Amino acid sequence: MLQECLKGELRVVNIGLPQSQKRLRDLLSEKYPHVVCNDGSTHLFKKSELEYLANMLDTDEQRTLLLPMLIELGADQAQAAIICEGKVEEKIISKALNMPVACEETRIRIYKPQLALLRRKLKTTTVYVFSAKIVA
Amino acid sequence: MPQLVKVRPTKIELVKLKRRLSLAQRVEKIVKDRLSILTMEFLQTARETVEAKRRVLDESSRFYRALSIAAGYHGYMAMEKELIASEADVKVTAGSRNIAGVRIPSFELMDNGKPMRGYNLVDTSSWLDRAAQLSEECLRAIVELAELQRNFELLAMEIKRTKRITNALEYIVIPGLQATINYLNMKFEERDREEKVRLKRVKVLVARG
Repeated sequence: MLQECLKGELRVVNIGLPQSQKRLRDLLSEKYPHVVCNDGSTHLFKKSELEYLANMLDTDEQRTLLLPMLIELGADQAQAAIICEGKVEEKIISKALNMPVACEETRIRIYKPQLALLRRKLKTTTVYVFSAKIVA
Repeated sequence: MPQLVKVRPTKIELVKLKRRLSLAQRVEKIVKDRLSILTMEFLQTARETVEAKRRVLDESSRFYRALSIAAGYHGYMAMEKELIASEADVKVTAGSRNIAGVRIPSFELMDNGKPMRGYNLVDTSSWLDRAAQLSEECLRAIVELAELQRNFELLAMEIKRTKRITNALEYIVIPGLQATINYLNMKFEERDREEKVRLKRVKVLVARG
């Protein structure tokens, strides 16, 4: 029974992850911008946040950016990494944090205080992922 | 003193206990990570809630002041007549989002592009325009506060639950499993020593005989 409880805790941490990400351009055209999560629930984006992101990017970049952005929490508690595919995320994060950031091996590494600042600005367009290394 | 887990002292049980211990340690790590994230979000929400509350109070007082000036200028009856005619539906988008396993609500006031007021601009003054504008800002602040307040409560409840799990793992489950593993190891060593002494004794008896 204890083991079942513990396994339940492992399941619950990543239950709210989206089944698939959507492009910013597509989300902007939706009436209720949302994605479906693994548990079947929906994750609603705030239009004001999407517009904030859209103002930072040109049309091509809006077509490239996938939302929600995934923030990976790894074994090192002091750090978090934003999973990114290209330069667009780098541009957004550096503008949101007002500091230069670099993308290394599809990850942008930031520290906890910066994470708090980022989450303050991008509440619905970012989600936490507990790293496979610690969950598996 | 940690409580021992009741198991039969066999090697298979020892292997099982070791597996349980490694699972418990892994879960403890994840739960602690989750707790730190939830605490960070909670503190941020608390700060934002305080700001939002202050904003609601400020906006409300500014709105009531503007409204009383407008009422003084137009007369209460005339203003009420205009405002009844201009009643509009307020649309709020309600959804949910997830923070580290906690489902929390998300509200947003729908802005359909046109201002909410529908009164006659010829018969009214800019005082009423000002009051209407402030009322919209006040409404926006109230919706924001509603979301933050609920998030604050839900995060607090989840932190309490997660903390209880972390404490249970840290102070009861893991020490209990470790103590039982140590106890079983000692028991097996004791058996080995007994076995060794018995063999020596048998050897002596055989040598004598």
